[in-house]
Amino acid sequence: MLAIETERLTKFYGAERGIEDVTLAVEQGEVFGFLGPNGAGKTTTIRTLLDLLHPTRGSARLFGLDSHRDSVAIRGRLGNLPGDFGYGRATSGYEAVALLARLRGIDGAPRAEELARRFRADLHRPLGKLSRGNRQKVGLILALFHRPELLIFDEPTSGLDPLMQEEFLALVREERERGCAIFLSSHELDEVERVCDRVGIIREGRLIAVERIADLLGKTQRRVSVEFAAAVDPADLRAVPGVADMQTEDGRISFRVTGDIDPVVKAIARHPVADLELSHPTLEEVFLTYYEEGAN
Amino acid sequence: MTALVIAQLRERRRSLLAWGLPIGLMSAFIVAIFPSVQDALAKAVSDYPPALKEAFGISELSTVEQYLDAEMLSLIVPLAAGYLGVRSIASALSGAAESGRLDVLLSVPLSRRRLVAAGFAATAVELSAVLAVSLLLTLFGSLLGSAGLGFGPALAGFANVWPLALLFAGLGVVVTGWSLRTAVVTGSVAGVLVAMYVADLIGRLDPSVSGIRYASVFRYYGKAIEDGIDPLAFAAVTAAAVALAALGALLFERRDISV
Repeated sequence: MLAIETERLTKFYGAERGIEDVTLAVEQGEVFGFLGPNGAGKTTTIRTLLDLLHPTRGSARLFGLDSHRDSVAIRGRLGNLPGDFGYGRATSGYEAVALLARLRGIDGAPRAEELARRFRADLHRPLGKLSRGNRQKVGLILALFHRPELLIFDEPTSGLDPLMQEEFLALVREERERGCAIFLSSHELDEVERVCDRVGIIREGRLIAVERIADLLGKTQRRVSVEFAAAVDPADLRAVPGVADMQTEDGRISFRVTGDIDPVVKAIARHPVADLELSHPTLEEVFLTYYEEGAN
Repeated sequence: MTALVIAQLRERRRSLLAWGLPIGLMSAFIVAIFPSVQDALAKAVSDYPPALKEAFGISELSTVEQYLDAEMLSLIVPLAAGYLGVRSIASALSGAAESGRLDVLLSVPLSRRRLVAAGFAATAVELSAVLAVSLLLTLFGSLLGSAGLGFGPALAGFANVWPLALLFAGLGVVVTGWSLRTAVVTGSVAGVLVAMYVADLIGRLDPSVSGIRYASVFRYYGKAIEDGIDPLAFAAVTAAAVALAALGALLFERRDISV
């Protein structure tokens, strides 16, 4: 069953575009990364899924249920960490957990305490007296303590120190193993690359790509740097289809390859090779490439 | 929903001190000094222009009940309680939206209608508690000053403020259906509160425009401390407050949650 399914989901704020024609699907047990810079429409998409915003047109279904009509039933099965988590300055994390547990009709204390130990979160101090990172830990606990079937995170590691970021990523993997679907909106490309199965890239309110992480990294540009044992005319390589941005420095030739790598390898193999480096782009480079292409 | 009401009341427990204490102490002071100013007051009132006495509903100030009504229950307490009502509901809805709390609460299986109902119920209880504290302090002031304020009239006087204050809370819910900015909600409803008071005052001062009093809830407020509570007015204003809150809940359900 699909955890999330949107069909041409569109939200306008008056005449101003929020998101437009966003169609995507997230399966149960999948970690879906949602990438885009500030203002691209990530939070609008999430808030529309959560029925906090009503779509201008299109539809969203969670667990096969309508995101607006069945929102109460849906919210019983999901956990959400808002982008700018806040609750109330005088309330402690423990009080917040107790209230949300009662509203959910469960005893959330054991799991909340387990998570608090894991994140080294202080549930007894008022939230207003906690640092941003420590408040974020409480937000994570509130999203996770009831063992939801779907987790929606909007910039979840914002404010967390590197150790806690690692702990968070480990927890995401555990939740996936448990069968939970995770919708992870972020501009921390490194964490998306490490835990997500697929990624959607949103630009100016439109979803411009949905790919498996491995495919995304594999099918796009590679960087090649080769040092030949003897002098080679760079024009031999420049003529190979897909080769671009060639640079020559101290006998080393570097260039980008788009598409099939095989003709490049064969062209290089015609000469004695002293050293060869082939690197895949980082997700950040891929992301920027998509953005440049989208802009063009 | 009960859990949410209790949680909201726990957070607002300071309002008993912030609102109940000053209103109660002021009323207690007014009552306590009454025996010492009683004669001077009677003489002063007899010199008041008839129009002024009519405007403020002062026939005479010969009893402590009349004095408490004129000094506190006809202006300060209803205006303060009305403002507290809208402030309280704004804290539960627009304030929660501004702090991000609403996003968290609407992540649990709780409908927006129930969220509004919980906020409105918490406001109703908070208003009762603040008025009860004010009443108790006032009675204590009467004891200290041997003013002889009767429990029944005092109870009626303070209890009569409750539906009026609740009406402005209900109006606050309606405005929340339009704006989730606390300043807009409290500012606009406080403006209506003052406008209604002034409209009622003008209507009483000038019989030719007395019709405008029907647009003001103060027209139905009366003088419960002297005449007792008018059950029909009490029930009608309470029903109007609930109806406004219900309308506001419908509007709130249909709006986007974005500040």
